[in-house]
Amino acid sequence: MGLLAAGIGAGIIAIGAGFGIGMIGKSATESIARQPEASADIRGAMILTAALIEGVALIGAIVCILLVFFA
Amino acid sequence: MIQASRRLLVAVLIFFFAAPNILAYQTEPEEEKSVPIDVLGQVRDHHYLTVAGYELPLPRIILVEGQWYFFGSTDSAVESGAFVEKNHQLIPADGREITIDLSITSHLMYVWFGVGLTLLLTFMVAARYKRGEGRETEPKGWFQNLFELVFVFVRDEIAKANIPEEKHQKFVPYLFGVFVAISFMNLFGLLPWGATATADITVTATLAALTFIITQWNGSRDHWRHVFWFPGVPSWMLLILTPIEIIGLFTKPFALAVRLFANMLSGKIMIVCILGLIFIFAEFFGATIGVGSGILIVPLTVALYVLKAFVGVLQAYIFTLLSAVFIGMAAEEGEEHKEGSEAIA
Repeated sequence: MGLLAAGIGAGIIAIGAGFGIGMIGKSATESIARQPEASADIRGAMILTAALIEGVALIGAIVCILLVFFA
Repeated sequence: MIQASRRLLVAVLIFFFAAPNILAYQTEPEEEKSVPIDVLGQVRDHHYLTVAGYELPLPRIILVEGQWYFFGSTDSAVESGAFVEKNHQLIPADGREITIDLSITSHLMYVWFGVGLTLLLTFMVAARYKRGEGRETEPKGWFQNLFELVFVFVRDEIAKANIPEEKHQKFVPYLFGVFVAISFMNLFGLLPWGATATADITVTATLAALTFIITQWNGSRDHWRHVFWFPGVPSWMLLILTPIEIIGLFTKPFALAVRLFANMLSGKIMIVCILGLIFIFAEFFGATIGVGSGILIVPLTVALYVLKAFVGVLQAYIFTLLSAVFIGMAAEEGEEHKEGSEAIA
């Protein structure tokens, strides 16, 4: 059961993180296309936001790993 | 003509690469049939340092109920009779409990390598600047130029952009040191026989704890007011907000530690797993297909290595950037919040 739960959880995490980072990429590319001279600032903000989303996703992944080993 | 001979050369090279391996695989005795490749053993902390295929034992320092034990290696600890080895762990022979195990491990050694290299490079360049080279004249040589490039990047793009102007100067040494040391630690994992020290939660947690202490130490009055007495909200809301803010103080460094740890660990596990496919194929379909799949898998691993080198530097950048953001958020003297609280009051 723990293995099954971890697998399902990892899939849902991937959906959430992929959706979130995809949104960031979409808005960032749109803004760079609209205002190419601000691309350096936009890239910085993009990496920062992606890192924050990644943090949440990785905490979920750690829960899945704990499920595999301890449940 | 050149094209054809080049193709022939590549084919011959691939044959020379594959043929000895097929022979070697067939002649080698199989030790552990059940586990073709030990994935977690590649990322675990060890009590020895692997250099060129040899295992260099590292000293063991163990405190057992008020009594200190020092040994040169795990073997000498067992030979002395005070300890017994069970499941790769040392247990006192007379049934006492280990209070604390301060043994020097491979990950600790790689942390020291990373930090030592950072200190060495920094002092080398600092000596040059003290002589006036770079201050009065322009920086000389690729090494000083590269160093200045990285330093200016950390100072301007990370520190100055996120920490209030008048305070950022004092955090640049920490941010620069963390950036370079984490980069080195991440990249050491790519060396043959190297270990990624940052693929260990204790290492990243220590780094995140340093950021946490610096953040709270430099927290402004405004920062603490936002934690304990959030301005501009009804007072009953504080019952909910204050616990959330206090938890928020600790989740930031926790996420910082987990992010670096999970990224480095997953990179390492991915490489070991994909290389392990060769052995799994060899086990299921025979040695020829196993080694033949190496032609496909080895270039894939090379691509992953390049990706991992990029991710290693990127994660060091993200760690430094988020440290700077957290320090900047805490150190900021919020002037603009007054309007909000007055508007509500």
